Amino acid sequence: MSKSDVVVIGNGFAGLMSALVSADQGKKVTLLSYGAGTFPLNSGVIDVLGYDDSGKAVANPAQAVSAVADEHPYKKIGIQALEESVKFFQDVVAAEGFPYVGSLNEQQWLVTGVGTLKPSCLIPESMQGSKCFEASEIVLVGIKGLKDYYVDMVAENLAKELGNDKKYTVVTVDPHYQGARDLTTKDVAAWMDTEAGYADFVSQVKGNAGAGKVILVPQILGLKGNVVYKKIVAELGCPVVETTAMPPSVNGLRLRDVLLSALKKKGITVIEKAKAEEAVIEGSKAVAIKAGGEVRLQTYNADKFIVATGGFYSGGITMRDFGEAKEVVFGLPVECDCFEERWVNKQLFSDKKQTFAKTGVRVDATLRGVDESGNVVLENVYVVGRNLSGYDFCFEHSGNGVALASAYKAAKA
Amino acid sequence: MELEERARDSADNCIACTSCVAVCPVTKANPDYRGPKLVGPAHNRMHFSDENDYEDSLKLCSNCKNCDITCPNGVSVATLNMLERAKYYKAHPEKHTQADQMLSHNFQMADMLKSIPFGRTCANIGMSIGEAMGMMGAMGIAPQRKSPRFATKYFREMYKEIKQPEGLTKEVLFFPGCFIDTNDPEVGVAFVKVMNANGYKVLMDDRFKCCGSPLVVGGYLDEARSHADNNVAIINEYAAKNIPVIACCTSCSLMLKAEYTELFAQEEMAQAAKNVYDAFEFLTILAEKGELKKVHVSSDKKFIYHAPCHLRAQGMGMPAVDLLKEIGVNIDSADAGCCGMSGSYGFHKENYETSMKIGSELFDKINASGAHKVVCDCGTCREQIKHGTNAKTTHPIQVLAKAYEQ
Repeated sequence: MSKSDVVVIGNGFAGLMSALVSADQGKKVTLLSYGAGTFPLNSGVIDVLGYDDSGKAVANPAQAVSAVADEHPYKKIGIQALEESVKFFQDVVAAEGFPYVGSLNEQQWLVTGVGTLKPSCLIPESMQGSKCFEASEIVLVGIKGLKDYYVDMVAENLAKELGNDKKYTVVTVDPHYQGARDLTTKDVAAWMDTEAGYADFVSQVKGNAGAGKVILVPQILGLKGNVVYKKIVAELGCPVVETTAMPPSVNGLRLRDVLLSALKKKGITVIEKAKAEEAVIEGSKAVAIKAGGEVRLQTYNADKFIVATGGFYSGGITMRDFGEAKEVVFGLPVECDCFEERWVNKQLFSDKKQTFAKTGVRVDATLRGVDESGNVVLENVYVVGRNLSGYDFCFEHSGNGVALASAYKAAKA
Repeated sequence: MELEERARDSADNCIACTSCVAVCPVTKANPDYRGPKLVGPAHNRMHFSDENDYEDSLKLCSNCKNCDITCPNGVSVATLNMLERAKYYKAHPEKHTQADQMLSHNFQMADMLKSIPFGRTCANIGMSIGEAMGMMGAMGIAPQRKSPRFATKYFREMYKEIKQPEGLTKEVLFFPGCFIDTNDPEVGVAFVKVMNANGYKVLMDDRFKCCGSPLVVGGYLDEARSHADNNVAIINEYAAKNIPVIACCTSCSLMLKAEYTELFAQEEMAQAAKNVYDAFEFLTILAEKGELKKVHVSSDKKFIYHAPCHLRAQGMGMPAVDLLKEIGVNIDSADAGCCGMSGSYGFHKENYETSMKIGSELFDKINASGAHKVVCDCGTCREQIKHGTNAKTTHPIQVLAKAYEQ
């Protein structure tokens, strides 16, 4: 394998964006992947900051980002990189024919798969829950046989959110499914991608469409970008809104396909099932990563490395015992409040962040790992996404926002 | 000696995240299949004690390994499926069909035909007649397909007639695998040419048996084990002499490098694996050491490459494409996922429709590419590509051998 300018380790959202931004800088990029990244579980929407430290809903993400605590990755990334990264992302997905709406100055609203509302920042056109706000009638579409989507519950919860002065109508579509397994949203989306499936669906829903109404569907509007969305909105003559979904997340998969397509156009090499096992260090620099299958490792040389291997969940950070958390590839310094008594906030849905969730690599404003005195450990190794310390993405709804902005900043460095 | 870390225990690492279901080609094509995580890992994790416990869709897995490629937690999903399948057939040998028997034991047929005068020619004529008369379907084999014909001379016979240059000091042992040996021996001939040109003498060892991949998918695990033990002993014998073992078939190399250890968890297998290389993996190592013969191709003929899933599962990228590009071949990866054949899977009558549906994306890409030939390391992938398109196919080692000739 000839030498690359940049090796990115990890192929979640942060990894793919790091690779894309690097390639956009004219760099020769190799991306080492192990597993599918988090996309099948990822909503594929970009939350930048949904809730502040006290758990209060954020109305203007740009303003709230400027006010985060010093330990927060956004503080290190800075608002300028965040703004540029949002523009970069929107350009990439738009060029792939899958535009995202939204800006840093306001929140978008999603309807979740259980009928609640959730704030986000950048979302695909098909998921604009705010279209429900003005409608006089919400037509909720259920799918016969669809797993994990209870349309009556969605209707009940949505009425609590949006009020009872609207009319809520439930329609159940029969996909005439003959198989032996439970249907997933991905199955139904694939059915919608076929001409016959699309026509069948439209014929069962069309009678309920009309002015002043919104058609709310589970995440089933095709697997290919916004093709089905554009077609069906034109055909039904009223807004159509997709909810978020249980895994496999159709929108996460759409976003992955779109980003992989962009990667391919940029000539980025993706090595599959290549687990990064060993870093080759010379002095204060990394010179290569050894990665590969069960039997032997290949050596991937580069001038620069971006770590996007994820946190505990993805195995980028592990901890055998309290106080022994580590970053697995380079052994970069991990910081956390590693004491058993403070580790977990036992009230899962409380108004406090989880300590374990804030565990990650300690970095400076360049996103390079630093020791306790603030000295950079490896000059050419950058850390992005869930590898970073100081934030609880679940609590504050900032996962893909931190991933995007940190990827952008690290790739530009 | 049994290894402490066993692939079958990796089921406990499954967090049921559904990534494998999202990418599984069979799940996508066949609504009866519940998806990888709900078959092997779920079965295994529940530690079903009763051998009669059976999941209907267990037999639908093609062992293509896309689940393993996708799993973020290192679960050997496909192998767990195969182990569960084997458990079932062990308890219910009567459930094996005639097609299972034939497609898993093609190596026996090949050996038998070799021992009969004109056996192979007669068998090939027999296949043509059988296909024309519609007899394949009655045996459970997809009647739409043309079965691969037996070569009138197997590679093991051709090898004996090849005059390798005198004085080659370095040696490698070739593991031809059934398809190259008995169906497509020219790949082996090309391999010898390439290795000779790089200063290596190619050895053969007639004690090698089929790698066992078709036995595993057929649910004949005990037989596969005996093949594994046989082959592993030979590989380790050569390892002691510092002679690497090289395969041109990526399903064989995956079996020797990874699946033996996953399935049977034996120390000797893990040891042997270290001495096995895919041909282009080996050539790439030579290139990195500056020892690969330099050549430049100036033809602008366009090739399209299909990466076999069993190569992708080896975690080393696409060494054949990288190397061919490096020497100037105009080649691009189709990047269209699984071809749908997965060894003997697509030959089963009941899998035919699924197999062709899976391959359709690849067929479309190949048809639209206008490429002169499709390059692919896997023999049965090439059969599928020829069946699903009108394209000509070749093994990358043949492209390289040709480049060396010019």
